[in-house]
Amino acid sequence: MESPAPTASRRPLSYAAVFLVLAVITGIELGVKGLGLPRAATNVLFLLLSLGKASLVAAFYMHLRRDNRIYTAVFVLPVILFVVFALATIVI
Amino acid sequence: MGYQEAAHEDTFRAGRALGLNHLKLGMWLFLGSEVMFFGGLIAAFLHYKVNNPTPETGLLDVGLVGLNTFVLLASSLTVVSALAAIERGDTAAMNLYLLVTIGLGTAFLGGQGYEFVSLYRDGLTLSSSVFGSSFFTLTGFHGMHVLVGVLWALSTFVRGMGGAYSRNDHLGVEVFGLYWHFVDVVWIVLFTVIYLI
Repeated sequence: MESPAPTASRRPLSYAAVFLVLAVITGIELGVKGLGLPRAATNVLFLLLSLGKASLVAAFYMHLRRDNRIYTAVFVLPVILFVVFALATIVI
Repeated sequence: MGYQEAAHEDTFRAGRALGLNHLKLGMWLFLGSEVMFFGGLIAAFLHYKVNNPTPETGLLDVGLVGLNTFVLLASSLTVVSALAAIERGDTAAMNLYLLVTIGLGTAFLGGQGYEFVSLYRDGLTLSSSVFGSSFFTLTGFHGMHVLVGVLWALSTFVRGMGGAYSRNDHLGVEVFGLYWHFVDVVWIVLFTVIYLI
């Protein structure tokens, strides 16, 4: 089966830049965790950083940024459901 | 059947009516179902963690797991680099990146195995507590997914060595990559939920 032609967004350099960002964020997470700050102060930060990292992988490495929007919808809808379920289990 | 009808049917069969590829759409649907699978396990873990804070979380080695997280992130870079290589028609580079991916995936599994053994020695087992059950179930299922990914990478590597992929025909590499990156995304969430918050 034929595959789509490569585009400018699939350059190895941009992939390496994304990895660098992911690694730096992970380093920040470990550093903040090591500070031993109160959980109430850090939990929201950790969740936001995690969301950022997951979005970067999905957008750049899984190519959702430039691929057909239907693929994005198929993936994001269950993610939204998961977030609702997770929040419900915490609140209940 | 007229020419136009035949052409339309061909377009439909090829899955191009919406600009979609059947194989990729199937993989995305599978990954959507996997989100719900891991979502249930994560929700159960969160429910326990929020309602039953326990000192057992102090047994977790965040430094070791942080290192393992870097390994898995690096493996995503090598997988996407393998795809970029075959898109350039560079089969040798693709095979090299896949080989490194296999090594990184195996290293991750080794790190997870070491963590499991350490926790068992400290008394945290699958049946020692609700925390132990939810922790080993969640991380164990993720580890199984990594193992499947390593085997899939090995299969893709062997096929690549046999010349199965080219600049114009590399969908197999792309679909494998989707699976691998998804496993990476799941780990990003697990690392936060289990080890950080």
